[in-house]
Amino acid sequence: MGKLTIGCFSSLVGSMTLDFAVKLAEAAVKKGHEVDLWLSSNGTMLGKKGQSKFRDYSYLAGTVEELLKTGKFRITNCEACAKARGIDKGDTMEGFGIHSMDWYLASAFDADKVIHIGGE
Amino acid sequence: MKLAVFVNQYDEPAILDRLKADKFGIILVQNGVYHAAVKQNGEPSSILSRNAEFYALQEDLQSRGFSDGDVDSKVKVINFEGLVDLIFNDYEKFMWL
Repeated sequence: MGKLTIGCFSSLVGSMTLDFAVKLAEAAVKKGHEVDLWLSSNGTMLGKKGQSKFRDYSYLAGTVEELLKTGKFRITNCEACAKARGIDKGDTMEGFGIHSMDWYLASAFDADKVIHIGGE
Repeated sequence: MKLAVFVNQYDEPAILDRLKADKFGIILVQNGVYHAAVKQNGEPSSILSRNAEFYALQEDLQSRGFSDGDVDSKVKVINFEGLVDLIFNDYEKFMWL
């Protein structure tokens, strides 16, 4: 088994790449791999507490919560991106990290595979 | 080096001309899957003429109304589990174009 680090520099609602990143992470964890997911820019909204599941809206928060329970999945917001959007630790769902970009770099150096997904 | 690139738009990124690898894979995702299933003037997308292995994500094909039968024979249809296997077993480096 290996470790996959994904960096996603994308948005939340309506974003195909964030949807892709979470589904890829889910498939990798199901296969026994470890996954680190770094979220930047509007992707940091994925960690917001109290999201609602609406029909026809992508609802990734539920998937993230289930992935966090596995112990094989870490997800972290870019601290500056989150703060710029008024999202602090208290606004963020349990288990979600908030760090500077050093976290992403350290994770990428430690990973077997890295996929850096650019913004839309 | 074994390099795979993700193509997520229905255009042909110019950088493809400058990429060289011992094994080169093109993974079509999101709107990139149109390359796998849509013909232009009766011809397959020109991206499929490149010297590469081609893959298309099944979920993205299905969400755009395509079935496996619509996909060019050069393209292997994979699901997310298959993509994870590609990442860990078949290629060393990845680029998102």
